[in-house]
Amino acid sequence: MAHDFEQLTQYARSFTNLTVENEALLKEVGPQIIPHLKTITENFYTQLGLIPETQPFLEGRLESLKAMHTQWLEGLFTKNFDVSYTEHMYKVGSIHVQVNLPVEFMSGGMTLINGQLIPLVVNLFGEDADRCAKVLSAINAATGFSLLTMQQSYQEASIAEELEKFLKISGMSRVLFSNLAKAYN
Amino acid sequence: MRSDMLTSTLTDLNGTSADIEATGIISTDGLMMASALPANLDEDRVGAMSAAMLSLGDRTAQELARGTLEQVLIKGDRGYVLMTHAGEEAVLTVLAKPNAKLGLIFLDVKRAASSISEVL
Repeated sequence: MAHDFEQLTQYARSFTNLTVENEALLKEVGPQIIPHLKTITENFYTQLGLIPETQPFLEGRLESLKAMHTQWLEGLFTKNFDVSYTEHMYKVGSIHVQVNLPVEFMSGGMTLINGQLIPLVVNLFGEDADRCAKVLSAINAATGFSLLTMQQSYQEASIAEELEKFLKISGMSRVLFSNLAKAYN
Repeated sequence: MRSDMLTSTLTDLNGTSADIEATGIISTDGLMMASALPANLDEDRVGAMSAAMLSLGDRTAQELARGTLEQVLIKGDRGYVLMTHAGEEAVLTVLAKPNAKLGLIFLDVKRAASSISEVL
């Protein structure tokens, strides 16, 4: 599944209920939500700042991280969740591995983001309980889709990194390791 | 031709001692070049495992300052596995019985490895 982004897209959809209707709804409510996303980002990084373990990953790059974060949030309400989106999120996951970001930061971060978006949606659409629930469900699908694709890359990149370390330590060539694995298939 | 010569070397080696149960010549990538194995042993597994063990032996000798690796010997309650380089590109693996006279086997294996190295 590693580089078959079409398959990964379908796989992530199957878990997150990111339907065509949900995608359309996200685009529909986008104009109402997008003006609030900078504030959501500010609040998100304020919350992150309260967690001491995140500090080494934030120092000196907070503003650029905020800009990227807001851009990604806006994309949830403007972009198609297609193969190119999956590929992009997969690469974002890989970058997180390269900077040695602990894996729980991604799911923890996504929980914080949802925690920010929920009151916003309730505030904007709370008068219509049915619509409010649908918007929340669509947002949950979009953030879940993003998390799953990032984690997939994270898992594979982490395994690849561990394997690289093992090969270096053991002196085995990649071909030898591959032949060893094949022999036990 | 070379394959025949390698097989012949293994046949000779197997004939030197009744304690030798199986032999194989393996590329350092873990692929079998020639073998005299009993039917119950999987050629691919013997090949890949031998090359992997020798590679690990190389690293261990290097890491623990033991100089250039000469051989890797594994002893189980049902016998020995002996692996040694046969030139730069190959590994010679020998499976021997638990009561094997190792001194003689070491000598024969050393000669065979040298012969294999010349063929390759």
